[in-house]
Amino acid sequence: MSSWMKMLKDLTVRPKGERRIRKSPSFSFDEDMNKPISGQTVKEILSKSSDIVFREFNFPGKSRIPCMLVVVDGLVDKNILDQFVLKPLMVDLNHHPDLERVTLANVIDITIQSFLPGIEIKKIVKMEEAVSTILSGDAVIFFGESSEAISIGARGWANRGVNEPIAESIVKGPHEGFTETLRINTSLLRRKIKHPSLRIISLKLGDISNTELVVVYIEKIANKDIVSEVLLRLSKIKMDSVIDVGYIEEMIEDFPYSPFPQIAYTERPDVLAGKLLEGKVGIILDGTPIVLVVPAILMEFLNVNEDYYQRAMTAILSRFVRYVGSFVAVVAPSTYIAVTTFHQEIIPTDLLMSISAGRQGVPFPALLEALTMTIVLEILQEAGLRLPKPIGQTIGIVGALIIGDAAVNAGLVSPLMVIIIGLTAVASYAIPYYDLSLAVRLLRFPLMILAGILGFFGVAVGLYAILIHLLGLRSFGVPYTSPIAPLRVRALLQDTFVRAPWWALKRRPQLIDVQEPRSKGKG
Amino acid sequence: MGTTFLPIASLTTGVADRDGWMAVLPGFALGIPYGLMIMSLYKKYPQKNLLQMTEMLLGKWVCKIIGVLYILIMSYFGGLLLGQIGDIYESSIMPRTPIEMFYLGGLLLVLYLARSGIEVFTRFTEVVFPLIVIALVLNMGLSIPRIEQGELMPILGQGIIPIILAGSKVTPFVMEYILFLAGILPFLPADKQEFTSLKKGVWLAVFLVGFMNTLVVLMQIVIFGPSETVNLVYGLLVLGKMVEVSRTIAGVESLFLGAWFGALVIKICAFFFVVLWSLESLFGLKGTKSHLVVGMIFMGVALNNKRGPGLVVEIGLVDNYLIFPFASLWILTIWTFSHWKKKVGVS
Repeated sequence: MSSWMKMLKDLTVRPKGERRIRKSPSFSFDEDMNKPISGQTVKEILSKSSDIVFREFNFPGKSRIPCMLVVVDGLVDKNILDQFVLKPLMVDLNHHPDLERVTLANVIDITIQSFLPGIEIKKIVKMEEAVSTILSGDAVIFFGESSEAISIGARGWANRGVNEPIAESIVKGPHEGFTETLRINTSLLRRKIKHPSLRIISLKLGDISNTELVVVYIEKIANKDIVSEVLLRLSKIKMDSVIDVGYIEEMIEDFPYSPFPQIAYTERPDVLAGKLLEGKVGIILDGTPIVLVVPAILMEFLNVNEDYYQRAMTAILSRFVRYVGSFVAVVAPSTYIAVTTFHQEIIPTDLLMSISAGRQGVPFPALLEALTMTIVLEILQEAGLRLPKPIGQTIGIVGALIIGDAAVNAGLVSPLMVIIIGLTAVASYAIPYYDLSLAVRLLRFPLMILAGILGFFGVAVGLYAILIHLLGLRSFGVPYTSPIAPLRVRALLQDTFVRAPWWALKRRPQLIDVQEPRSKGKG
Repeated sequence: MGTTFLPIASLTTGVADRDGWMAVLPGFALGIPYGLMIMSLYKKYPQKNLLQMTEMLLGKWVCKIIGVLYILIMSYFGGLLLGQIGDIYESSIMPRTPIEMFYLGGLLLVLYLARSGIEVFTRFTEVVFPLIVIALVLNMGLSIPRIEQGELMPILGQGIIPIILAGSKVTPFVMEYILFLAGILPFLPADKQEFTSLKKGVWLAVFLVGFMNTLVVLMQIVIFGPSETVNLVYGLLVLGKMVEVSRTIAGVESLFLGAWFGALVIKICAFFFVVLWSLESLFGLKGTKSHLVVGMIFMGVALNNKRGPGLVVEIGLVDNYLIFPFASLWILTIWTFSHWKKKVGVS
C-alpha cells in the first residue's frame, strides 16, 4: 500500500480494536514507576516541579522513622493536612499508648488504624499509584524505607460553584448544573437518586493527563449489555490526554462520520437522573461539566427535560413547535429556492406577483442569493458566539438590521429572502441540542444546492438520502430513529411526539431492552 | 404501492367503466392464494428463498433457467420503473430538466438504500408508507369540493363481468409483491409467533393498499367522470394540480410527487434486492461490484426505453404478460411439487 493510501486510510478508517490516536512519548521515569515504593524515588520523579511540596518529619517515639508528606500545592486543602494529618502525627501522638509498639514493619497499619482520623485514608503499594494519587490532589506519606505508603484524601482546590448551566437554561425546574469537579457532580447525582442500585464505576483515561472518569447507571434498570459495551469501548481508548468529553465521544460513537450526534449530553443533574431512570448510562469526566449519556436516539435531541415539569398539554405544544421549527430550519431555504426557480405553479397568482415584485432587480439567481445569505448568517453566528455578550449582541444587530437592510436597499437580495433566512435562523434556535442544530446547519447547504439544480425533486432526493442515513444509524445498538422506525407505537404515543400525563407513563421507554420495563414510581 | 396509485384508475375504468372502483379489492384478493402458497412453502423450507426451493425440488438446471428468467424480468421491470421516475417528473412538473438527472437521482437513492441493507430498507418503507397515505388523503380530501355524485350512477350498469375483467388488470400488481416476497423469504423471522404477527401485518397492509386504491379510483371517477379517467394516465397528479387552499397553496402535485417518488424508490429497490439475491443464489455474485452492475442495467433499461404513454403501456405489458404468468406458474409449480413429493415421500 502506498504511503498516501495508508495516510488516507489512517484518516478515514477507525480501527476496530484498540482505539489509539497518539502514541505516548516515553519518559525517563517510566522505569521508576515499576519500582517498589520509596520516598526517595518519588522525590526524584517529582522534585523538578516547583508546585510539589515535600514535608519531611520524624515519627515520634523511640522509632524515629523518617517520614515525608508529598502534596501538590494548590490542589490540597492545607487546613485538613495541618489539623488532621500533621498535628496528630507530630504533636498529639507523643502521648498515644500505641506509640511504643511502632516499628517500620507495622507503622503503616497502626497509623491507619489508630493515629490518623479521617475517612479517605488507605494503604498504597505501587509506585505508579502513589505518583498518580499525589498528582490527583491527595496527600501521600512515605515512611523511611517502607515499600508501602499511605494516601490521604485532602483534595481542595478553587472550583466553580454549582450554577445554572448557560446552555440548558429552563423556566420551570431545578436550576443547578454540573461543575468541573467530578465528585461534586457525582454528589449532585446521588442527591437525585438515593438508591443503592445506582452504580458509579471509576476509570482513568489518558496516559499523560490521567483523567478520572466515572460510568454511572442504575443496575436494576440499565441493560447489562449496554453497560458492558460502554465499559469495553472506554477501556479500548488509548490517548495521551482526555481534556473534554468531546475526545471520548468521537472514540466511542458508532458512526464517526455522521453529522448527527449519536451520544446525548447534559449539564443538568436532573436530566442525567431522568435518563438513568430510563435505563441509560452516563459518563462523567473530571474537568468538564458536560456529561455524556448513551444510547441516544434522534427524538431525544428534540425533547427537553422541562417537558416533564410542565403540564402534559403545554409540553405537547412545546414539542410540536420544536419539531416544526427543526423541519423549517432544514427545508425553508431549499423550498424557497425550489419554488421560486422551478415550481411557481404551486403559488397562487397574487402571491406569485408579490414575490416577483420583491425579486425584481435582484441580479442573482435564488440559489446564489440563498447561499450567500446563509453563509453571511453562519459568519454572524460564529462571530457572535465567542465574543463577550454585549459585543455579541452588537454583532447580531449590525448583521441582521444594518447589513440585511442595506443589502435589500441595494437590490442585492430580495426582502423575502431576508425573511426566509431570518426565519431559518430563528427556527434552528428551536432545536434544543446544539450538536443537532449544527448538523441541521451543515445539511442545509447540500439541500439548497440540490434544490437549485433539481427543484423539489432535488429536495426529495436530499431528504430521502438523509432519511436513509438516519435509518442506518445506531447508538450502542439502539436504532437511532426508534420509535418511529422500527415502529414502537406505545413509545411513540407515550413520550415522543406527545408527552402523556405522568399517571399514564407506566412503562419506561421501550427503546432499550431495560431490565425493569414497568416503572413503579410512575402511574 | 408506488406504481399502483397513479395508473390504477385509468386501467380499471378502461375495462369496467364507472364501476372500476369495485374491481380493485377483488383484484387484490386474487393474489391471496399465491400469498398463502408462498407462506406454506416457507413453513416447509424455512430460511430458503423460492429459487433455493426450486433447486431442491426441480434440480439445479431447471432452477438456473427459472433464475435467469427471474433476473431478466425483474431487471427489466426495475429499469422501467426507474424510467417512470424521469417520465413523470419531466412530463408533469419539470419539463426542461434533462430526464437523465431524474434517473440518476433515483438510482443513487436506490443504490444507497440497497447498500444500507434490508433492515434499513424495511425501516424506510415504515417511514414512507404513512407519508404516502397522508399525501393521498390530503390530495383526495382537498378535492372533495369538486365531486359530482351523479358520475357514479348507475352502479353495476354493465353487470359483474367487466368488474372481474378489470380485477385481472389489478392482479399483476399483487404478483409484483409476491415475487418480491419470494426473494425476501430468508429474511423473514423463523419464530412462529413473530411469523404469525408478520403475516397479519402483511394481510393488513394488502387490505389497506387495496382500500386506498379503491378510494383513488372512486375519487377520480366522481371528479373527472369515467371517460376522462380512462384518458388521464396519471389522473391523481391532475387532481393535485386542481387543488387550491385558501388562495395560498395551489397545485400540490409537486409535493405529492415527493411522497410518490419515495414509494417508487422502495419498489425499485425491492426489485434491485431481488436481482441481487438471485445473482448470489445462482452464481455466487455479491458485493459492491454486483450492486454497480445491477444499477447500470437498471439505468440502461431506463435510458433505452419508451417515454410518456408508451412507457405506461410497456409497464402494463410486462405486468400482464411476463410478471403475472411467470409468478403464477412458478409458484404454483413449486407448491404442487412440494406437495406431491411429500405425498410420495421424496424429501
